[in-house]
Amino acid sequence: MPVTVTIPTALRQYAGGHASITLPAGSAGQILATLREQYPQLGKQLYNDQGALRSFVNVYVGDEDIRHLQGVETPVADGETVSIIPAIAGGVLDGAR
Amino acid sequence: MIILTGDVYHAIAQHAEEIYPNECVGLLLGRITGMRTEVEDVFPAPNRWTAEVGLTPTDADHSQRDRFYLDPRDYLRADRVANARGLDVVGCYHSHPDHLAVPSPRDLMGAQAIGSGSRFVFLIQSVHRGRAAELTAWLLVDDGARFVAEEMR
Repeated sequence: MPVTVTIPTALRQYAGGHASITLPAGSAGQILATLREQYPQLGKQLYNDQGALRSFVNVYVGDEDIRHLQGVETPVADGETVSIIPAIAGGVLDGAR
Repeated sequence: MIILTGDVYHAIAQHAEEIYPNECVGLLLGRITGMRTEVEDVFPAPNRWTAEVGLTPTDADHSQRDRFYLDPRDYLRADRVANARGLDVVGCYHSHPDHLAVPSPRDLMGAQAIGSGSRFVFLIQSVHRGRAAELTAWLLVDDGARFVAEEMR
């Protein structure tokens, strides 16, 4: 049973319209690399020009952020789910009220 | 076109009034079909903004009265709720207490993890003196460079 990678709604346009993609098990980094290879436009949304994950892009294995596990070295076994999850922030500007 | 069905208008207004004078935040559950985004329900989330979230060096001077942060854990919870009902997370909402319902430069900065050019909608609810006022809808375009207003009913 391969690994399932879920794609958030707004990024599906960069992943062939897929809500989820199945990939072979491996480390989180290997899975993300394969994803970037298959969907280069998605890769540009996930990574900055320095090749690091964008700060508001989060990768979860199961219920845990890989930043709190072993980062890109986090092992992902067959049957597990990798979720790409955006954070969103904002707020009115001070002095603009 | 953004279609708000059922109680969505009321639920967003009520959430914004409850959290006033702070900013509220939540996700929108529904379906995207072609150019149409239909919102069937809301998923109110806690505003988890702290100074550590700061997008800019001056953020420590601010509070949840003029800042919001939608934590990815809450997004993940909303996504699972949506999927269990055959829906998707199709947008988000937040409030502007005592401010117009137009996106701020900071809203733009904080939306960068959302790919532009999709039908993922950003709703902004203005609240004046504790009472919900205007609700507006926006889409992110031009590689995330700007928001454009979207028709809503």
